[in-house]
Amino acid sequence: MTAPLTNLSAVRRPVSEAQGLPNPHYIDSQMFNEEKHAVLFSSWSGLAVTADVPEIGDAVPMTFLGMPLLVIRDKSGTLRVFQNTCRHRGMILVEEPRKIEGAIRCPYHSWCYSTEGRLVSTPHVGGPGQNTHESIDRNLLGLIEVRSHIWRDVIWINIDGTALPFEDVNADLIARWAEFDKPLFHGGSDSVFQLEVKCNWKLAVENYCESYHLPWVHPGLNSYSRLEDHYHIEKQDSYSGQGTLVYRQLKGAEGQVFADFEDVGEKWNEAAEYISVYPNVLLGVHRDHAFAIVLVPESTERTVENIHLYYATPQTDDAMRAANTEQWKLVFEEDIFVVEGMQKGRHSPNFDGGRFSAVMDSPTHSFHAWVAGKIESYRATAQAAE
Amino acid sequence: MSGLDARLLDAHARDDRAALVTLYQEAADAASDQDAEGFYLTHAYVFALELGHPDMQMLHQRLKRAGREE
Repeated sequence: MTAPLTNLSAVRRPVSEAQGLPNPHYIDSQMFNEEKHAVLFSSWSGLAVTADVPEIGDAVPMTFLGMPLLVIRDKSGTLRVFQNTCRHRGMILVEEPRKIEGAIRCPYHSWCYSTEGRLVSTPHVGGPGQNTHESIDRNLLGLIEVRSHIWRDVIWINIDGTALPFEDVNADLIARWAEFDKPLFHGGSDSVFQLEVKCNWKLAVENYCESYHLPWVHPGLNSYSRLEDHYHIEKQDSYSGQGTLVYRQLKGAEGQVFADFEDVGEKWNEAAEYISVYPNVLLGVHRDHAFAIVLVPESTERTVENIHLYYATPQTDDAMRAANTEQWKLVFEEDIFVVEGMQKGRHSPNFDGGRFSAVMDSPTHSFHAWVAGKIESYRATAQAAE
Repeated sequence: MSGLDARLLDAHARDDRAALVTLYQEAADAASDQDAEGFYLTHAYVFALELGHPDMQMLHQRLKRAGREE
C-alpha cells in the first residue's frame, strides 16, 4: 500500500481543535497533482464565463490544469466544452480564439468537426480522394466533450464526470440566492480584469471566505463596513463565505445609482454576500451588481484570477461602471500581499497548518475540511483499487 | 507550372480559403481521371466545410455520388 502524502486527520476535527491543511498542499507539486484529481477534476470547477464566448461560432482555447480545452458556442447557441484535441493524431485543434464559420478543421490532416463536436469529414482516410474507410466510425470519433453547466454566467465543468448534477451539489446556494436568479449583464471590456498571484489557488479561496481580515487588510472598508456588520456563511461540503449588513451603493456624480436586480427584495437593501463556491469560484451579490472570480490554478504556487462584473441592465453609466471596477480592483489588489505572504509562509517546515479562530475562521475551516474530505475519499478509492 | 497550380499556391500563401474552394473545384473539373477528381473535390469540400461555404452541400453530394464521402 502506498503511504498517503499527508496526514489529514487533524483537518476535519471541529474548528476549535483543527489544524489547517499541511504545507505540502501548498508547495508540493505531487500534492498539487493529487488535488487536481481529488478536488478539481471530481467537482464542478469554474473554467470561464459565457461572456467569453458571446456569439455563435466563438471558440476560445483554454488550458485548465494542463488540459487543453475548447469552449465554443455551437450553431444552435449552446455553449460546449470539448477537449481541444483531434481524435486522429492528437493535434491541438484551435490555438487562438476565433470564430468558427463552418466546421473546426484540424490543421494537421484536416479532419473536420461540427461545432457540436461531430466528426463530419475524414479527408483521404481511405486513400487519396477516398474519405471513408470501414475502420473509421465517425459516430464514435466525435470530439470528447467535458460535462459542463452554466450558472451565474460561470461555465462550470466536471472533468471526471463523477460529480452529482450541478443543481444537486449547489441546491442550497441556488435557493439561498434565488432572488438573484435574474438576467446578468456583463459590464463589457471595462468590467473584466485579471490578477496573477504567486500563491496556491486555495489561499485565494481561504482569504475570500472570511471577514476576519477586513479591518486590517481593507481599512478603507472600515468607515462603513465594520467587522461586527459581517456574518459567516457556511454550508458543509458546498460553500462558505461572509455577508455584510451595511452595503452601500456606489453613487454617480449626480447621486445616481445602478439599477437594482428586479424584485430583489428589501432584505438586500443593505445586505450583500460573498461566497466561495468550492472548489475555485468566488461570487459576490449586491442589489445592483454582482461579480464572479474564476481562479485558474496554473501551478502549485501560481494562480490567475479572472474577475468579471455584472449588472441588472444591459446599459449602465460608463463612468460609474469604470469606478465600480476600479473600486473592486483596489480591494482585490489589497489581498495580494496576504495570499502571497501565506504562500511564502508555507515554506516554513515546522508550520503545522495553523490554528483557526473558533469564532472568526469557521468559513475558512469549512473549506479546509471539504478539501481534506475530498482527498481522503480519493485516497480511499485509490487504496481500494490496489 | 500551370496557371491553376500557380493560383492555388498563391491562394494557399494568402490563406484565402474561399478562393481555395473555387480553385480546387476548377482542378477537379479539369482532372484527367476520377481519383484526381476525387482528390481535388475533397480539398474543395474540406475548405467549404470549414468556411460554411454555399458550395458545401453540392460538393458533399458530388463526393457522395462518387462513393467518396458518407
